[in-house]
Amino acid sequence: MSAYLDLIRSHAPAVILGALLVGAALALATPHGRASWALALFAAIAAAVAALDLSWRFLTTGAPLAPDAVLTVDGVGAFVAPLIAILAALVILAEGAAIRERLARAIPFAMALHLAGAAGWIGALFAQDFVGLVVGVNVGWLALTGLVATGPERGGLNGALRMLTAGGAGAAFMLAGVALVTYATGSSAVDAAARALISGPQIATLGFVLLLVPLMLMAGAAPFHGWSGAAFGRSNETLALTMGALASLAVVARLAAVAATAPAVAESVSVVLVSVGIASVLIGSVQAVGAVNVRRLIAYAGAAQAGCVLVAIALESPAGLAAALIQLSAWGAGAFALFAGIAASKDAALTALDGLGRRAPFAGIAITVGALSFMGAPLTIGLLGRWRLIEAGVGAGWWWATGAAIVTSLAAVFYGGRLIERIYFRRATEAAAFDLDVWRWARAPVLAAAIAAIAWGLAPSLLLELAARASRLALGVDA
Amino acid sequence: MTAELALAGVLGVSALQALLVLALSRPPGLRDVVHVLSTGVVALFAGYLVVAVANGETARIVLAQPLPNVELAFAIEPLGTLAGAVLAGLGFLHAVHTSGMVRATDQKAPARLMAFSALTTAAAMAVMFSANLFSFFVAYQALALAAFPLVAHVGDDEARNTARTFLAVLLGASIALLLPAMIWTYTLAGALEFQTGGVLAGRVDQLSANILLVLFVLGIAGAAAPPMHRWLTVSFTAPYPSLVLVQGLAVLPAAGIGLLKVFAYVFGSALITAAPATQILLGICGVTMCSAALIALSKTDMRERLAYSFWAQSLAAIVGGLLAAPAGLFAAALQIVATSCAATTLLMAVGTTAAVTGRHRTLDYPGLGRVMPWTFAGIAIACASLIGMPPFSGAWAKLWLITASASTGVIWAAGLVGAAAVLTFAHLGPLAANAFAGRAPTDAFKRPDGASILLVAPVILAAAGTLGLLVLADPLASFLSPVWTPR
Repeated sequence: MSAYLDLIRSHAPAVILGALLVGAALALATPHGRASWALALFAAIAAAVAALDLSWRFLTTGAPLAPDAVLTVDGVGAFVAPLIAILAALVILAEGAAIRERLARAIPFAMALHLAGAAGWIGALFAQDFVGLVVGVNVGWLALTGLVATGPERGGLNGALRMLTAGGAGAAFMLAGVALVTYATGSSAVDAAARALISGPQIATLGFVLLLVPLMLMAGAAPFHGWSGAAFGRSNETLALTMGALASLAVVARLAAVAATAPAVAESVSVVLVSVGIASVLIGSVQAVGAVNVRRLIAYAGAAQAGCVLVAIALESPAGLAAALIQLSAWGAGAFALFAGIAASKDAALTALDGLGRRAPFAGIAITVGALSFMGAPLTIGLLGRWRLIEAGVGAGWWWATGAAIVTSLAAVFYGGRLIERIYFRRATEAAAFDLDVWRWARAPVLAAAIAAIAWGLAPSLLLELAARASRLALGVDA
Repeated sequence: MTAELALAGVLGVSALQALLVLALSRPPGLRDVVHVLSTGVVALFAGYLVVAVANGETARIVLAQPLPNVELAFAIEPLGTLAGAVLAGLGFLHAVHTSGMVRATDQKAPARLMAFSALTTAAAMAVMFSANLFSFFVAYQALALAAFPLVAHVGDDEARNTARTFLAVLLGASIALLLPAMIWTYTLAGALEFQTGGVLAGRVDQLSANILLVLFVLGIAGAAAPPMHRWLTVSFTAPYPSLVLVQGLAVLPAAGIGLLKVFAYVFGSALITAAPATQILLGICGVTMCSAALIALSKTDMRERLAYSFWAQSLAAIVGGLLAAPAGLFAAALQIVATSCAATTLLMAVGTTAAVTGRHRTLDYPGLGRVMPWTFAGIAIACASLIGMPPFSGAWAKLWLITASASTGVIWAAGLVGAAAVLTFAHLGPLAANAFAGRAPTDAFKRPDGASILLVAPVILAAAGTLGLLVLADPLASFLSPVWTPR
């Protein structure tokens, strides 16, 4: 038994992807909606457990994995894969609350798309070569597009169309990027790019930029976020979209870590990342402050948060990458708390939040905690992310990076304050549309998990340690 | 009882009180008893801590360790303990007064008001007992968030706008200025612990010290250094029980104590290297202190006049701290304590007057002292203390401030303190005098039974406290001496 377990653990990346893909196939083949949901949930939980085990062993003991032809694990992958798997399980769990609204025959498709999407993103993180990475990313993106298109809200079709267009163009750019990087480095293997004697630095740089820009687009980073307002604002798949954005940024972090170890391209890639990062902080913050649709507000706030992550990644240092990983976790937890809390009300207008604290206290707490984390309030994981970014920036002499963190937090004070004020200091002006189905409790674990993750800021030593180890491994500083 | 237990009590009872008040909101009598008794317990704990510090005891509570070498911790030391004891003592009187006010004015959602009052007190206590800069930052942000509902309590558009300004200034400044200053300090010193002599002493160059000083002074916007004062001057629209906490007891004094802790325990001797920032800030705060006292003269709404008056007083405390001398620090600490006593007395008395007469304009005050002698005696004593008239407690603070300015060679600062005292006399002196000298109005009370004991007794006792401070200057100097001289 122990030997089988060891065999499974040594092939953990394949096991994770297998659980997700087999789960997707079974969920698709199961005609009954609830059964399909349960199956998908089981598969996602299995993948999350396997990913956590892999991450723990890889980051704490450096346990070796069996040689694999297409999959590999690096620091970023080991840190983010369990995060994505857990988020996927939570997204599917929360789907239970909305399952009644979907067409019965669409449920198996939705469940399969959720699992396939998670498999795609995790596959991109584990891919050994650039082609695998691009395939993974596009599987994840197309699954997301499918989810938005088949959701119960018809307005989502507009968002899906934009996603499809953006994703199509992005895929073309990425393939061109793969070709250029492969040409310049002489290999399509991701980790080989770092070791390669790059013959044409400009070509390699262009290749990396063509790979990174579509990923930043998928992460919803401004100014490439034209799709996000429509997709987030009109679709109910906000949790899945958040997971996708988070995974895209993780892939950016992975590629940036590779570029950082290749001196010929490191500086140029850093400039691109920091330019987009600063633009995203500024544009996202301004748009979030002015938004009147809550989902759009959180999407724009996410763009600002993504900007901070990009600035941290651009530092191309262990401290910077660790800060990026912590901010990624903080953003994921905060966005999940906000979106899951807001799902308690069916209207996405800001006014729908009036008096929510009385009508749905748990959702009110989740939104408040999420907003506080976005502000970088003390004892939330959000502050930890900001702190690490400023510390890494100051350490690298990038004093202005402090400005990115401050602008993001200040904007969050304004829009977060608006959310909190509406929830607790206003009375509902009209009868709010409420989901009174008992299945709405399926959303409760998501809220609880998000709140718990944000509260991780109280005692984050384990998170800090894992992020530091992951970043050192990704940058090859610590074997 | 141990000092640790008392410290936990001071920090925890108010938070528990908030829950109890909400849970036992009916009947109102039970709610009020819980509110008053809880603050009494906090006062007892705080009194015990004063004795413990006087006996040289130490106590420290660690709640979490969010970062390497950075703990969320609270500890007793003279400055915070003294301010905490004043807050707890006056907080008890304020709780009694609040019980009277919510009845006299039919205040809406009284349980919510009391609960957030308790939370604000808890956060202010946490600020005062914070053991390091990180804990101070956490407590300070909690203080802003807990006080926000107090400012927004009325719930109309004006209150909401005021509350937004309040939160935006306090939180915005702390995020934009205080947070980078704290992380910069951490980068320079590798720790954020408050320690006598200053954690930055010997570790900071002149340029960094100058920038850090400006970031700290402006980042702790609760201390109301210009231009971060707007939260104070707009918050006068809040209900009186909220005003007492925001301006007299919690936000303004706690931020002032926080700033003094930064001067004493973060900079210490490094404050001398922060010139010319100290001189520039001294000049700005000194001139603004006089301007605020002058602007107060033009305000006819009592609450607005008092807001400007308290702003001038808080700037005097900053001036004391910026003198970078033990005498200046002592003067600043005494100024904060004396202002807290006088401001609480004054705001409770003005609240009582408004509740029973419906008058809150300065033009309506002449003669009211004849029909409300006890309340206006409190007003007179508090005004005299704020002005700095000997032998009232504010006089000691002003005297020390002028002495410290002169001894550090900043004579012009002494002149500005004197000028501000004269201007304070101009906007408070005639008011108090006319209240007794004017003709008594025939229709003074809107309520036939006048002011209840719950409204008058706290004013008298707080005024007595303000008077009592005048004999405590020497013991306080001895009590506070470890702040600048390690035992």
